[in-house]
Amino acid sequence: MKLLYISGSIVLLSLVIIYYKFNPEMYNFFPECPFHKYLHLDCPGCGSQRAIHALLHLNLQKAAGYNLLLVLSLPILALQLFCKIYTYFTKRNLVLRFWYNPNTPKIIFVIVMIFWIARNLPYIPFKYLAA
Amino acid sequence: MEDQKPQEQAPFGQPPFGQQPFGQQPFGNPIPKNWLVESILVTLFCCLPFGIAGIVNAANVNSKYAVGDYAGAQAASAAAGKWTKIGFFVGIGVYVLYILFFVVLGFGGAMMSNYR
Repeated sequence: MKLLYISGSIVLLSLVIIYYKFNPEMYNFFPECPFHKYLHLDCPGCGSQRAIHALLHLNLQKAAGYNLLLVLSLPILALQLFCKIYTYFTKRNLVLRFWYNPNTPKIIFVIVMIFWIARNLPYIPFKYLAA
Repeated sequence: MEDQKPQEQAPFGQPPFGQQPFGQQPFGNPIPKNWLVESILVTLFCCLPFGIAGIVNAANVNSKYAVGDYAGAQAASAAAGKWTKIGFFVGIGVYVLYILFFVVLGFGGAMMSNYR
């Protein structure tokens, strides 16, 4: 398990460096989402690579322009990461209860679906959501 | 929102403990892992919408557990885990295939593409 965490951290770190150094908009060795490639529609994850690049350069506004959902979910994911790290090092179970509330997954599902549909609408307020 | 209690040797990576607020659960049945966070990550980063299936199953885990259907919650947990893993590995597969394809085509000169 420990080995898994260490190798995972190394992979993550190298990805961070790659995404910091190279702008996915300029270089073509970043994979394109198959959903977008073949259907020419944005999925909820489209724009994440460019958003990460922008985030690593601390450009929050640009990142939100690429993938608003990713930026909005960051605080909560950071909180979760903190809980995991805390649990790992102190051996005291720190759990975010709301993940286990029956309504949480439903709300998240609705948000993701609305985001998915809205970002593919070619009208003015929604066009800004597109990747 | 947060719940912190000293737990005697909770094996790391196992489903979290606690969780009595939603009801009539008999003792000793902790809620099974609902894979919600992992599903969200797959939805955001692996592109292919397998993460959605994971989120739907996470909803099943929570609601079935809340009404006391422990076996159903466990089944939903297994399904959520399955979909999340499929999404994860398909995502990694796409990455690896793409990189391989790129390497085979050759780095030279192809680094700069036109705007896309």
